[in-house]
Amino acid sequence: MQEHFNEEIENLKTSLIKMATLVDEQVERVITALETGDAQLCKGIKAKDREIDIYDNLIQTQCENILALFQPVAIDLRFVLSALMTNNQLERCGDIAVNIAQRVKKTNDMQSLIKESHILEMGQQAKLMLKEAIDAFINNDIQMAKKVVDSDEIVDNLNKQIFNFLVEKMKADNALIEPCSHLIVLIRNIERLADHACNIARNIVFYVEAKIIKHQARLNRQTE
Amino acid sequence: MQQEKNIKIDIRHVNIFARDVKILKDLNFEVNSNQILGIIGPAGSGKTTFLRSLNRMNELETGWRIDGQILLDGKDIYDSELDVNSLRKRVGIVFALPVALPMSIYENIVYGLRLSGVSDKKRLDEIVEKSLSAAFLWDEVKDRLSLSGLRLSGGQQQRLCLARVLAMEPDVILLDEPCSGLDPISTTWIEDALTELKKKYTIILVTNNTMQAARVADMTAFFLMGELIEIGLTKQIFTAPVKKETSDYITGRFG
Repeated sequence: MQEHFNEEIENLKTSLIKMATLVDEQVERVITALETGDAQLCKGIKAKDREIDIYDNLIQTQCENILALFQPVAIDLRFVLSALMTNNQLERCGDIAVNIAQRVKKTNDMQSLIKESHILEMGQQAKLMLKEAIDAFINNDIQMAKKVVDSDEIVDNLNKQIFNFLVEKMKADNALIEPCSHLIVLIRNIERLADHACNIARNIVFYVEAKIIKHQARLNRQTE
Repeated sequence: MQQEKNIKIDIRHVNIFARDVKILKDLNFEVNSNQILGIIGPAGSGKTTFLRSLNRMNELETGWRIDGQILLDGKDIYDSELDVNSLRKRVGIVFALPVALPMSIYENIVYGLRLSGVSDKKRLDEIVEKSLSAAFLWDEVKDRLSLSGLRLSGGQQQRLCLARVLAMEPDVILLDEPCSGLDPISTTWIEDALTELKKKYTIILVTNNTMQAARVADMTAFFLMGELIEIGLTKQIFTAPVKKETSDYITGRFG
């Protein structure tokens, strides 16, 4: 029984790693496309996202089977729950990569504005966070996971800073309203990417330490 | 959240020996009133020995010895002046295999009462109905109380045994793997009965089915090789146990 259970858990882990690798590659490609303005790199992003969706369904089924057949408890239960949540976050990251790809196509002639606004820096940071969150998941690396959670502030600050910069640009020049609007949507997507990376990292903390650290900052602020 | 304490059983530094071998080691914990304490642990961990020590059934074995104290409502149950029979009326036990007596359903229930001198028919009738109802069996047998208890199914016989214990109006009910031979439906009947009964009684449930403890117990204790490894709220034991041994056992990684 235990052997069968371990096998199911290993299969689930393998599916998650494969899915995470796909998502990581998608994000890598769209961020590179954003940096180089090479929209050609975004070709095939949508088709690849379908593979991610297939993994999403597979992982959900694997989790459902484990819960129904083995009724795991304690650390095993936390693994399955965090797998379900991570699956959800990864699937959303895949969708965001598709969204970013669409924006890259619309903004590839705005390289100077992109460079000037620090969007590339934000993209790099979000990409790094996702990579580290995935690594932390693969290695059960709680320190790395906590580092990812802490890094969210960097992206949030960049988001505010770039948003203000783009608003100022639009105020100064009506002709920039449309391109800046695309870029605002773009940074919103990058910010969500970082949020999902954070949530994946929080799932690892939940799995390893049995602690729920979601919404912690906000809840702490409310009790103060 | 601070739990209001209402200690029913207080186990203080209890060691139990069988022929000079210490089989339970320095047990120290409390059982609150109107709660179900689930005791889990692998075979040979001392669960049943502990359970049997709560109504002094171990005394029937030669070479058996206890030190420390077990207090029921603050009184030492091993006090030499305490009447064992009255203790066993207060602390009833249901065993793994149902032991229906070879007599009618009705007589099975009133057997202990008759022995203790109750003979009023009206009172016996009332107790039979009350006990069978509390054990979730009344509706199934009310029209055939004269049927032999042995003709009932395994699940019904186990509820009959529970009803027989309830007829004595105990304070504490001990259950030693009461569902080990039962199908899932009968198990549900017993578990539902326990959940209702805890409103009135204190229940200690030894089970090899860890998920049964998860389903019905308020508190769960994990025993291993005669030691209490961990005791805590069932929710906590089954989500984030403190001790590695507990985690290994409930996740099936033990041994």
